[in-house]
Amino acid sequence: MDLVLQLLFTGIGIGSVYALVALGFVLIFRATNVVNFAQGEFSMVAAFLMVIFAVDLGWPYWLSALLSLGGMAVYGVIFNLGVYYPLRHRTYLPVIISTIGASILVTNTMLALYGPQPQVLAPVFETPGFNIGPVYLDSQYLLIIAVTIVLVAFQYWFFEHTLLGKKLQATSQDKEMASLLGIPVAAMIMITFVYSALIGGLAGILVAPILFVSIQMGGTIALKAFAATIIGGFGDVAGAIIGGLALGVIETFGAAYVSVPYKDGFAFLVLVLFLVFRPQGLFGERVAEKA
Amino acid sequence: MQVTRRVFTSGLAAGLAAPALLRGAQAQGATIKFGQVVPITGPAAEAGKYAMAGAKIALEKVNKAGGVLGKQVEIVTEDDQTTNPGAVLAFSKLATNADIVGFIGSIRSTQVHAMAPDILKTAKPCMFGGTDPTLTKLGNPWLFRCRPNDSYSGRVIAAYGLEELKLKKWGIVHSTDAFGTNGMKALAGALEAAGVKPVVIQGYANQSQDFTPVVLALKQAGIDVLGSYFTFENDLGIFARQLRQLGVNAPWVGSPSIVNVTALKLAGPALYNTFGVADYAEDSSPEAKAFADAYRGMMKVDPDNQSSWTYDAVNLLAAAINKAGKTDPQAVREAMLSIKGFKGAEGEYNFDQNGDGLHGYNVVQNKSGKIVFSKHIEFKD
Amino acid sequence: MTSITDVSPAARRTAPLGLLAYVALAAVAVFFAATHSFDAYITNILMQAATYSVAVMGLTVVLGLCGQINLAQAAFFGLGAYAVGLGTVDYGLNFWVCIGLGLVTVLAAGAFLGASTIRLGGHYLAMVTISFQQIVTLVMINWIPVTHGPDGVSGISRPGLFTTAQAYLAFCVTVLAVVGYLVWRLPSSPLGRAMRAVRDNELAASVAGIDVQRTKVTAFAICALLGGLGGALFAGGFAYVSPDQFSFAESIVFLTMVLLGGVASPIGAVVGTGLLILIPEWLRFLKSVPGLYLAIYGLAVILIVLFMPDGIWGWISQFTRRFGSRSGVAPVRAEATALELRGSSGHAPEVLRVEGLAKHFGGLKAVDGVSFSVKRGSVHALIGPNGSGKTTTLNVLSGIYAPTAGSITLDGLDVTNLPPHRRTIAGLGRTFQNIRLFRTMTAVENVIIGAEHPGNPVQKAHHALDARARAALAFVGLGDRADELVTSFSYGHQRLIEIARALAGNPTLLLLDEPAAGLNSTEKLELTALLKRIAAKGLTILIIDHDMTLVSDVAEHITVLNFGRRIADGDPVSVLNHPDVVTAYLGSEPDAPY
Repeated sequence: MDLVLQLLFTGIGIGSVYALVALGFVLIFRATNVVNFAQGEFSMVAAFLMVIFAVDLGWPYWLSALLSLGGMAVYGVIFNLGVYYPLRHRTYLPVIISTIGASILVTNTMLALYGPQPQVLAPVFETPGFNIGPVYLDSQYLLIIAVTIVLVAFQYWFFEHTLLGKKLQATSQDKEMASLLGIPVAAMIMITFVYSALIGGLAGILVAPILFVSIQMGGTIALKAFAATIIGGFGDVAGAIIGGLALGVIETFGAAYVSVPYKDGFAFLVLVLFLVFRPQGLFGERVAEKA
Repeated sequence: MQVTRRVFTSGLAAGLAAPALLRGAQAQGATIKFGQVVPITGPAAEAGKYAMAGAKIALEKVNKAGGVLGKQVEIVTEDDQTTNPGAVLAFSKLATNADIVGFIGSIRSTQVHAMAPDILKTAKPCMFGGTDPTLTKLGNPWLFRCRPNDSYSGRVIAAYGLEELKLKKWGIVHSTDAFGTNGMKALAGALEAAGVKPVVIQGYANQSQDFTPVVLALKQAGIDVLGSYFTFENDLGIFARQLRQLGVNAPWVGSPSIVNVTALKLAGPALYNTFGVADYAEDSSPEAKAFADAYRGMMKVDPDNQSSWTYDAVNLLAAAINKAGKTDPQAVREAMLSIKGFKGAEGEYNFDQNGDGLHGYNVVQNKSGKIVFSKHIEFKD
Repeated sequence: MTSITDVSPAARRTAPLGLLAYVALAAVAVFFAATHSFDAYITNILMQAATYSVAVMGLTVVLGLCGQINLAQAAFFGLGAYAVGLGTVDYGLNFWVCIGLGLVTVLAAGAFLGASTIRLGGHYLAMVTISFQQIVTLVMINWIPVTHGPDGVSGISRPGLFTTAQAYLAFCVTVLAVVGYLVWRLPSSPLGRAMRAVRDNELAASVAGIDVQRTKVTAFAICALLGGLGGALFAGGFAYVSPDQFSFAESIVFLTMVLLGGVASPIGAVVGTGLLILIPEWLRFLKSVPGLYLAIYGLAVILIVLFMPDGIWGWISQFTRRFGSRSGVAPVRAEATALELRGSSGHAPEVLRVEGLAKHFGGLKAVDGVSFSVKRGSVHALIGPNGSGKTTTLNVLSGIYAPTAGSITLDGLDVTNLPPHRRTIAGLGRTFQNIRLFRTMTAVENVIIGAEHPGNPVQKAHHALDARARAALAFVGLGDRADELVTSFSYGHQRLIEIARALAGNPTLLLLDEPAAGLNSTEKLELTALLKRIAAKGLTILIIDHDMTLVSDVAEHITVLNFGRRIADGDPVSVLNHPDVVTAYLGSEPDAPY
């Protein structure tokens, strides 16, 4: 039982990271109908910005986090203008490839600037964690879980109860109709990219103290977040969260009870099973490709 | 700003042509050339820098002492891109340069495997640092290993745990890559030879983000000593932290990565008091100390095994050619095999017929972040 | 993927000349590889380029021809390589047997992967191929007893005839030349045309009688097959294989190769592969900063997609086409044979019988229990105000939507549950309100695709299909422009090409979805005349339109829908004077849509 609880905590913790990144995927997908293959790099870039501000420059943690997120907003703008916007009238294929190119570009620019060695970022709290009974709770993971909950609540409120949120939703549902209604579609898509970069960045900053800051950190998380998105259903925000958590738990238990080396395989196996038997995901309608 | 397609494509075309023109025209001096295959790009680029620094320090030393056969020595490097096909291309490119008399290969065993057929074809000595024991059993006479192979690291970890620490309930954690798997086999084999069966052996895939299941397995098995083979420092860092957090405090003897600079930085206190086998340990000999001083003078950081073996490799190649009195590969090979008791930074070299130069390891301990030399364990076979 | 036409019609007619040039060029390349002695470095580079090119041509097929993505080409490449590696080293099998086994393996894997998920298309396919790639890599690393794990397999031997690097290289170049030839010719074969049709417009392809799923799966399997073949050759060439050579990163490299060179042609594959093997070698002067040249590589990918969507070869061929032989070959005027329409063999008086047809979208009842029948040889119109459910009805009839309830009988055959292409085979032809032509093809190619489906009693030899297509184009009045790209036609003429495409398939029933939409008055007159000519040939037509002049001019029978229900049915005069119809059209009801 202790074992199960400990695994469950870890699974939910790591699953929250997947969920946060998956959230970013879903937002961009809903707004543009495009899967962003450079989503993981949002997290990686933000983590490196944290290293620059908090470690290299030695600025206070909260200030560094704010500056990093500010940097991510700018990055989101540049990303949209450079990678998505010029291709918005083409099919999904060039856009996918362009985002793959962006992923290679950003990863290796970071490598050129910072070298391949992983960097250390201190956790937010002094106390690394504590025991409740036999279960050890890592304080950074607790923080990640908390942030995920808050963000989901915020997201719900934002999309359902604010005008901007509703405009964003309208844009993601039907761009033509939205523009007929006078919603500036291009601006809405820009906001989506910025918001997605911020969420991805936040995930990166939060997970950096656990996984260290390295150029590969984004790619690994992004692949899992992808799988989470499909499990949850591509068009659905709640689905991304549940998919992420489910994947984290499946993976952790799979590793514990079946095989550690094939841990990454579980994620992809579950993914393939879902694609074959339930392509619409746990929730939500199947997203038809536009003819 | 409007970049037209035409401008872009013609720019691209020009960009493609220019480097080809630049290439080729390289001055050819009256020097002795060594070729070095080294990762300059890709995940191991940082390690590549260290490897080049080690070789360069040795190069300066050799040249200051009069060079080889009265000529100055020069090193030609080629990027292996941290991939196997990259290594093959890099080596074959160097091999076309007839002036090169000997090679410094890779520290990565799979790359040496990949290059081995070309090395055999080129028929010139190649010093390498990969520790996969099978490499020197390929029947390839041109391979010379400048680090102790993994069968020794496994035996040393086993011997230290059994004889020094006197502990018998072993757990082994290893990466499932070539290095980790071979290491695990050597360690488990050495333990079993001493009549001890490990209570748990747990493999993991590189770049795992979480080790909770692994740690819990160790905890449940109730181990009292841990042996490990980790390839990447970030995996080691995450594992070390989770191990301590979840309350496993058994003594831990790990493969060389446990004492390398990056691992110390990443894992911090989680690795205090652990033991590591190290082919290079600064305090193990005066030669090691001398290398460390020279390296710090140049790179401003402490040296590790990424640089010590290339340092020895260049020194050994120079010594063997000088001893042979000519650059004829066969003569150099024979001279290399006849060198006895050569004191390098890594230890004392006595090449056997297989091409293994070293036959033992140092055991060091992490004392609050400082690496302290503990013991050298040498085998006669 | 947007791309230009791969084989221009002029090039096709000069094919024998092109073939000769190709064979000569290939022979020179093989001869050069076999006799010129390269140093080891160059040999390795050429070997890598030749084997990679074979795999990249697989992507030319799947991505360039069929418009599907595959992010697991390195996995297929690896499976082929491991088959040869493990087979020759561990099991002592003959090299050729191993290649055969490897090809069977990748073909099976590719077909399975394609068949299980390709219906999802797009992003899902991208995701599944990534997953497949990851799983293959994991198995290669972890299934140590079989794969040797991360150590890889070394000491792979080459077949007896080709033991030297030189001879083996010549062999690889020969294989590349053969594969290149097949991939070059593929677009003008029926299968290749089907792939291009699927790429250009899936819906139109299925309505033209192409089995879209099977075409995609075939393309995917061919891609996997070429990946495996390239890998098998690679294993023999380098004598050593290990899992890290076949990682996801390599799949991206393959993809970039095909994009850089150009997806439309096998030459593009060779150009792209060559460049991406050579560029890293040339750019080594950037090596002082780790990551820099890969960063430039990533940037190049983005720039290529933005500015050079057809790749380097696409750009070059566009360039040469613009300045080259526009004057070249004069179009060969085919004998304008008269178009024969002999679709129906049935004798039932009703060609189409629709009973209780319903289509609900969630709560919305777009079509709600509609019944009507179309008499053989008649022109029947289905009309109704916007939103009345007539286009939905048409889409259900042609199989694009599955009906919620009801049955559809075509010429005595129950087609209610058949997919679109099977209905076409059963004798349905249709056009679309928003014109759906295969945009990268010529008019005659579009119509050939319409003629090519299995149910059509026309000879399947190319010249017969070509003649039929030209006859159909001549029938609609575009005979002398048959070899032009469809995009060069006016809107009205594009509509005529669509009709010709449907006619070429010898339909029993022709469905026309708002054929007058977007036409000017002259074009409408031409259309009316054409419909009368078609009707005069005895072909049954079901037409949907707003245009009352057109409808009352050609139709013998009219069915009127409103709010998804039939409100009138009968001859034009009585129907058009029906009070419900008048109300519906004049919109006196307060809640009438629009």
